[in-house]
Amino acid sequence: MEDKRLIFPFAAIVGQEKMKNALILNAINPKLGGVLIRGEKGTAKSTAVRSLAALLPEIKVVADCKVGCNPNQKQEMCQQCISRLESGEELPIKKRKTRVVELPVGSTEDRVIGTLDIEQAIKKGEKRFESGILAEANRGILYVDEINLLDDHIVDVLLDSAAMGVNIVEREGVSYSHPAEFILIGTMNPEEGELRPQLLDRFGLCVNIEGIADLDERVEVVKRWASYEEDPAGFHQLWRSEEESLRDRIVKAKEILDEVTISDEMLYLIANIAIDMNVDGHRADIMMMKASKTLAAFNGRKEVLKEDVQSAADMALQHRMRRKPFQKPGVQAEKLEGIISHAHMHKHEYVHTHTHEHLKVPKV
Amino acid sequence: MDWTNRELYPFSAIVGQEKMTKALILNAICPSIGGLLIRGEKGTAKSTSVRALAAVLPEIDVVSGCPFNCDPHKYEHLCPECKARVKQSIDLPILKRKIKVIDLPLGATEDRVLGSLDLEYAVKEGKRRFTPGLLASAHRGILYIDEVNLLNDHIVDVILDAAAMGMNIVEREGVSYMHRAEFILIGTMNPEEGELRPQLLDRFGMCIQIEGIKDLDERVRLIKLREHFDTNRTDFIIAYQAHQNNLSQKIVRSKERLPRVKISDEMVQLCSKLALDVFVAGHRADIIMRKTALSIACYEGREEVTEEDVDEAVDLVLLHRARMPPSPHYQNEKNAEHPPSPPEEGEKPEKGEKKLEAQNQQKSKAREGEEEKGGEKDKEESEKSISGIPILETVFPVGETFKVRRIQMERDRVLRKGSGRRSRTKTSSKAGRYIMSTIERKTNDLALDATLRAAAPYQQRRRRQAVAIAIEESDIREKIREKKIGNFIVFVVDASGSMGAGKRMIETKGAILSLLLDAYQKRDKVAMVAFKENRAEVLLPPTNSIELTYKLLEELPTGGKTPLCHGISLGYQIIQSYFRKDPNIYPLLVLISDGKANVSQYGGEPLSEAMEVAEEIKDDPRVNKVVIDVEKPGLISFGLAHQLSVRMGAKYFRIEDLKADTLVEVLRKDLLV
Repeated sequence: MEDKRLIFPFAAIVGQEKMKNALILNAINPKLGGVLIRGEKGTAKSTAVRSLAALLPEIKVVADCKVGCNPNQKQEMCQQCISRLESGEELPIKKRKTRVVELPVGSTEDRVIGTLDIEQAIKKGEKRFESGILAEANRGILYVDEINLLDDHIVDVLLDSAAMGVNIVEREGVSYSHPAEFILIGTMNPEEGELRPQLLDRFGLCVNIEGIADLDERVEVVKRWASYEEDPAGFHQLWRSEEESLRDRIVKAKEILDEVTISDEMLYLIANIAIDMNVDGHRADIMMMKASKTLAAFNGRKEVLKEDVQSAADMALQHRMRRKPFQKPGVQAEKLEGIISHAHMHKHEYVHTHTHEHLKVPKV
Repeated sequence: MDWTNRELYPFSAIVGQEKMTKALILNAICPSIGGLLIRGEKGTAKSTSVRALAAVLPEIDVVSGCPFNCDPHKYEHLCPECKARVKQSIDLPILKRKIKVIDLPLGATEDRVLGSLDLEYAVKEGKRRFTPGLLASAHRGILYIDEVNLLNDHIVDVILDAAAMGMNIVEREGVSYMHRAEFILIGTMNPEEGELRPQLLDRFGMCIQIEGIKDLDERVRLIKLREHFDTNRTDFIIAYQAHQNNLSQKIVRSKERLPRVKISDEMVQLCSKLALDVFVAGHRADIIMRKTALSIACYEGREEVTEEDVDEAVDLVLLHRARMPPSPHYQNEKNAEHPPSPPEEGEKPEKGEKKLEAQNQQKSKAREGEEEKGGEKDKEESEKSISGIPILETVFPVGETFKVRRIQMERDRVLRKGSGRRSRTKTSSKAGRYIMSTIERKTNDLALDATLRAAAPYQQRRRRQAVAIAIEESDIREKIREKKIGNFIVFVVDASGSMGAGKRMIETKGAILSLLLDAYQKRDKVAMVAFKENRAEVLLPPTNSIELTYKLLEELPTGGKTPLCHGISLGYQIIQSYFRKDPNIYPLLVLISDGKANVSQYGGEPLSEAMEVAEEIKDDPRVNKVVIDVEKPGLISFGLAHQLSVRMGAKYFRIEDLKADTLVEVLRKDLLV
């Protein structure tokens, strides 16, 4: 379902730089594993996620495939496309926008993972798989608003497929599996209960946001929203060049992403942060590395700097610091600062140089 | 899903985690070791390793096209179809392929696990035929359950049954079928999400606990390899091909050599001695110890088992089996761990429950006796003064937490009873996970697949108008669903001045927190009522946020008089009003008090008022009650809380009773840190 309505443009969102940054990084590098946005109500969470789709590049899909298979990647295709390909069929290709698929809080398991096709079964007496939300979300964004209110067993299946990139269905007499590679974006209001650590860890990045305190900016929010509601088309026209330049920047960053290098010094810094911050497992390390490379690319650089690692650490550790259920999530900013500025403290042959300037995180 | 075709991270490129990779390899060399459970924090390559294992597994001969993966060289193990072919002296087509890793997803329903009626065949031919499920696919391979601790109990039981017998016997939907199901069960879990039932734990031949790598250089190497893999999968896999082949060949060679590896009597004795040292149950541990030691020696290229091999085997085999020295009540406990009967058997479960209850009571008695002895020490520590009501309110810190043992056990039982009960009441909600179907008609929650299967065989005879399947009333099947949430705990906490004496409030807070941790794992809803001064107050309305509860608990002040009656009735009111919202919940009222009361609610004698309210609650069978006595066993002991628990029909515990110093039946302590 492509949304034909004009959505509030991403570039026109006032403030909330961290959230916008995290979303953009995921648009550049889908391997970042999604974002969890934690914050109070009415902080443009949903608006930002929906408007992100407009910034995403178009993708090539097999035109009549429910899963939206990539016609150029046999490795990542669903069973049907593979068998069609093997029988010598030419797969019809079309270009379409990346989807933002919403998973409503009240969703049932069969809608999420797919189920037995009733019509086929009764009319033809055949077992056929009817795909669900996970199939729709393949190669797109899966957006779960209020993810902390989601039913537990739905969370479990979500975990399963988010981790594997495959949705395996063994239920209601149907045995089926299809690729389910999606960027998981969740929003939640922490006042209504926390997420389980296991699910938290599945999100590559996490940002905490709050309402803007600055009076002028608040007024700006209201003004922009008013003019958007009055005349959506006109508003879009107004922001078109901004949107386009942001889109260009994303496209350019995507192009150079593979060329971005990260020095051993930075890798050791990352590993050090992970050890000192006492995170579980290794996902944090990998995410910090990926996020800092993506950040560098977004800033048009081909080399990762300390400042990239710092911003990346903030986003990648935010939700991984919680060792026990009752510890409050969040990064101890001073501790992180300390580790980063004292990175030279540990002796290692790779570390030759280090700067002591505390570079300000660039505004994007 | 056939993982061998996907570009997976190569097994030989996994950094660190030698114990896990070795345990996996040992299982591949000697499948009769009986599987592996990997416990570990998130993000430690658990799932990656298991899935990657498939690529280095040895090849086996199977009957090509046979859904049951029959072994063409063993006539007596063939499935009926293959047997029939042999009898007609048709040569079985042989296919050499790698051992498969079959994934069991969490949302799997019973019919797909066991296999069921072949719908399409039944419609066309009007005959019943069996269509194999996951257990058939897993035969002679590996059955992998990710997040095994989150899998539905019923499905777990079904798998266990098959694993124990090496057979899958299906009697359902008018099909009866039997086929071999010998598989290596591999499970991964994160203990944060809750523990595994002890019975299931024992099923795994090996169990290991893993954590992230602490070495800096290794960590960096891991990041680099992962990035290399993510940027160019194909190249990375090619780069590791040689390693993969080497490992694969080593496994094949070891498998061949295994029967020739020797073990001296001395080493066999050592195996059994080590098993005895940790008081394992039964003989399975000894047998697996021996097999593991042999496989280790074999993999290391030795001809004979050495002491080091046996030592290494201890870590893999005995950790999850170690127990405390047997004590009199242990027998009861073992009986209590029987799996719950499947709920569709009507009234049967009820009887079972009663038996369980009886056993639990016995057990409780046994343990109470034991703990009273242990309580002697606490007496010395306990403060003498009980009186002395501080006027000022004080906020005590939260005491040490501990693993809740008793309550957990009891609760576990409650849960089972709950799930048995819930599956009847809960079908009305149409929410929750669909596990299996039933012929009983209670709600309109249609189980389409089961209904179709029921109708299918009769289609030849029925009149069908424009449809392939005509469904009649008698075909209708409904879904049995399970929802894990649904427990609701109301804490009624005495925050009066007397609680400030000694370290009582600190301990109490510690106890509540421990219960909260437990509630967190089971994802219960909680509410909290505190009573002090002249009235009780709802500190926390029903919520899922255990965090919020903790914060309030931390800040809970103590001081003033004790309006016990108001506290209890308010707690009960919350439950009643919540019932109106969700009739399917399973509430638990936890009263934490020393049973003293000195503020009246209705103008009568405070304590007798409280007793009256208690009796009122006793008459409500829907509510489970627990009284936790915080009175220190000192010189003057009133035992009021105990009286109250009797009047309330509640289970009675002392704070000390809740502590679980002996969790060894589940796991040895160091595993749980």
